[in-house]
Amino acid sequence: MSTPTEVTAAEAKACCAAAYSTDAVAMILGESYHPGGLALTRHLVGLLGLQPGQRVLDVASGPGSTALLLAREHDVHVDGVDLGALAVAKAGAAAAEQGLDQLVTFHVGDAERLPFDDASFDAVICECAFCTFPDKPTAAAELARVLKPGGRLCLSDVTIATGGLPEELAGLAGWVACLADARPLGEYAAILADAGLQTVTSQAHDNALATMVERIGARLVAFRMLADTPGLGGVDFPRALELTAQAARAVSDGIAGYGLLVAGKPGP
Amino acid sequence: MTDVVPDLELAPPTKVDRDEVFLEYTKSICPVCKVVVDAQVNIRNDKVYLRKRCREHGQFEAIVYGDAQMYMDALRFNKPGTIPLAFQTEVKDGCPSDCGLCPEHKQHACLGIIEVNTNCNLDCPICFADSGHQPDGYSLTLDQVEVMLDAYVAAEGAAEVVMFSGGEPTIHPRILDFIDAARARPIRYVTLNTNGIRLASDKAFVAALAERKVNVYMQFDGFSERTHLQIRGKDLRARKQRALDNCAEAGVSVTLVAAVERGLNDDELGAIVRFGIGHPAVKSVAFQPVTHSGRHVQFDPMTRITNSDVVHGLCEQLPEWFRPSDFFPVPCCFPTCRSITYLLVDGDTVVPIPRLIDLEEHLDYVTNRVMPDGQIRAALEKLWSASAVPGTQVSAEQLECATCGIDLPEALRELTDKAFMIVIQDFQDPYTLNVKQLMKCCVEEITPDGRLIPFCAYNSVGYREQVRAQLSGVTVADVVPNALALQPLLADTKYGSKTAAGSATHTADAWIAPDHTNVGHRLR
Repeated sequence: MSTPTEVTAAEAKACCAAAYSTDAVAMILGESYHPGGLALTRHLVGLLGLQPGQRVLDVASGPGSTALLLAREHDVHVDGVDLGALAVAKAGAAAAEQGLDQLVTFHVGDAERLPFDDASFDAVICECAFCTFPDKPTAAAELARVLKPGGRLCLSDVTIATGGLPEELAGLAGWVACLADARPLGEYAAILADAGLQTVTSQAHDNALATMVERIGARLVAFRMLADTPGLGGVDFPRALELTAQAARAVSDGIAGYGLLVAGKPGP
Repeated sequence: MTDVVPDLELAPPTKVDRDEVFLEYTKSICPVCKVVVDAQVNIRNDKVYLRKRCREHGQFEAIVYGDAQMYMDALRFNKPGTIPLAFQTEVKDGCPSDCGLCPEHKQHACLGIIEVNTNCNLDCPICFADSGHQPDGYSLTLDQVEVMLDAYVAAEGAAEVVMFSGGEPTIHPRILDFIDAARARPIRYVTLNTNGIRLASDKAFVAALAERKVNVYMQFDGFSERTHLQIRGKDLRARKQRALDNCAEAGVSVTLVAAVERGLNDDELGAIVRFGIGHPAVKSVAFQPVTHSGRHVQFDPMTRITNSDVVHGLCEQLPEWFRPSDFFPVPCCFPTCRSITYLLVDGDTVVPIPRLIDLEEHLDYVTNRVMPDGQIRAALEKLWSASAVPGTQVSAEQLECATCGIDLPEALRELTDKAFMIVIQDFQDPYTLNVKQLMKCCVEEITPDGRLIPFCAYNSVGYREQVRAQLSGVTVADVVPNALALQPLLADTKYGSKTAAGSATHTADAWIAPDHTNVGHRLR
C-alpha cells in the first residue's frame, strides 16, 4: 500500500475492494474486516427481523462471513455482491466448504449498478462499505430499488464528525480509505431518506472502532517483531503505527466513530 | 380549620432492600467439621461472597471473587465437559463425598498430580500439603506410582499432563524412575513441582530433567527477604536464581509459581512477571492465591486475595503492558477458577495475544452456538486450558494453529519462541469451596488406590487427611483453616496446621464429608 496524500472517492472504492482481497490486509485486519466483529454482525442481523426462507442481499460481502452466518443461523437465501473478484471467489469456496452453497451465492458487482431485479429481496445488509461508495445517492437508490416494499435495510458504517477530519489528520484519510468520504450518521440517514428509505433505528457503536484500531496496532507490533514477515516487506511500520495512533486519537476525540442504521422501504 | 399534622407515631413501617444480590444456591462444607451444608453466593459492594451455615458451628462467609462484573462476564466462557474413559467411584452420597471421579463429574482430567512423598527439605509457614521434616510421613514406591499412572491413563487414554509433587519430589530417591515411568506411558508432558533447592546445587539432576523434557514448576514468591521468610521460612533468593540459571543452561523450561497472600507479596506481582520475561529459562508465571488448606498464616476469609484481585494488581503494577481484558477465563474448568493470558515478547515490547485476535468470538460458548471453524476453537481451547504447558512443542503448534487460523501470517509461527504465559488460579479451600466449581474441576490428585480426586476436594474436604492416614499408617488430624474468626476453636496439629480442638482424626476408613443438606426428612 502506498500513502497518497489525497484519494478520490472512486479510487478509495477500488483500493478498498482490492486491498481487502490481499493477504497483507487480511494479516493486519484479521478475519473480521469490520468493527464490532461477529458480535456486532449478529446484533445487526437481529435487527433485520428475518423469517426462514426469505431472500437477503449482502452488499460488499467481502470474505463472505456475514452472508454465511445469515444462511447458517437464519436459514435464509443469501446473495452476496462484491467489487473484488478474488474476494468473491474465496467467499464462494468458503460457502462450498461449509455446505452452504445451496443457500448462498456470491457475485462480482457494483453497488451503484446492482445486478438484481427490482423488489427482489426481503432484506439488505451492508457492513462498513457505504462510506466507500463514491456516488452515495445512486447506491442508496439501488439498495431501495432491489428491496421489496416493506423490506428492511441494515447498514453499519464508519462515521465522521460534522466538518470532517481536521487538518492534522488529513494524512489518515489517504491511508485509511473509508475515512476519506465517511459522513455523520445523520447524513447517511438523509441520503437513504432521499432514496425513499425511512430510518427507524440509529445507534452509535464507536467503541467497536476503537477496539478494531487497537487490534490493528497490536498486530502491527507483533509483525514488527519479525524482521522479514513475507508479504509485509513493503509495510512502513513506523508510519503505519503513527497512523494507527492518529486513528485511535480520532476515535477517542469523537472525530471518527462507527454506527448503524435500520431503514425501511414503505410497503404494503 | 387547623393544619393536619401527620402523626409520626402512626407512620407505617417501611421495608428496606437487602444489601446484596442473590446469585447462586449451591453446596459447600463447614470449614470446622467438614459436613456438607447448603451455601449461597451473593454479590455485595461489587464483590462476590459465598455464605453457608453449619447447624453446629454457625455461619461462615468468604470472598470468592473481588470483581463481580468480571465474575459474571466469565460465565459465558464455559465449554461442555468431556467424559473420561473410566470413572473410579460410584455416585452414593453426592458431591463432594464420592470422589472420585464419580460419574456425575462434569469434566475429564487435564492435569493429574502425584504427590510422591510428604517429606520436604523446607518447613514453609505456608504449605497446603502440610509437608516438612516429618518422621511419620509416606514415600511412594515405584509400584504405587505405576498403579497411579495406569489409573490416569485408563481414565484418559492419551493423558495430557502429569505433575510430580510432594512434599518435595526432588528429594525422593526414585523420582527419575517415576518420571521415566510416566514417559513410558501415553502421557504428553511431565512437570515437576519443586522448591528448586536441588536444582540450585545438582547440575547432573537438572541435566537429567532436560534429557527427559521435564517442565519445572518452581516456587517463586517474590524478591523481598520478608516474602521469603514469611512464606518459605528461609531466604532462598540466591538459590532460586542459581536453580533458574542451571535450568537455562541445561535447556529446562520453567514456570515460576507464586503463592500470593494479601499484604505479604501482592505488591510483587509485576516484578515477578518482569523478571520471568527477562530470564531465558522462564516460559510462564503462575499466580496462586494462597490456598487456606493445610498449613498457612492466619487470614481473614473476607479479605483474602482472589483471581480478579491478582488481575487488577498486575494491571496496576504493569500498566504499560496489561489491562484486565487481556486475561481470559479458562473454559475447560469452571471459568471463574482460572484465567490465562499469552504474551508475545521481544525485548521490552509485550503484546498480549488477546489484543491480536477476537478471543470472545471463539471462546464464548453460550452466545456462539454454532462455530464455523472448529480447528481454531480447538487450538484456542488447548491454549486456554489447564493442561497448557508453555515452551513445549505442542503448545507451540497450538499457538500456531490458533494464530494462523485467525489470519495471522505464516511467519508468526516463528514467534512461538517469544510466547509467554501467565496463569492465575485460585484453588478453593474449606471456606470458599463451591460444589458447582468442584464438579467441573480438571485438576485431579491421583491416589495409590487408583482414584482421581479433584484437587480442591482433596485439600478441603478431608481426602488429603484420609489418604495420608492410609499411606503413612498413622492417624492424621482433620485440618481446619487458620482463620481469624476460628481462633478460639483452634489447636495445633503435629504438622503445623490447625485442627479444631476435639475434632475427629482421620483413620484410613474415615467417612468423608457427611451430607447435611438433604437429610431425607419430609415435612410431616
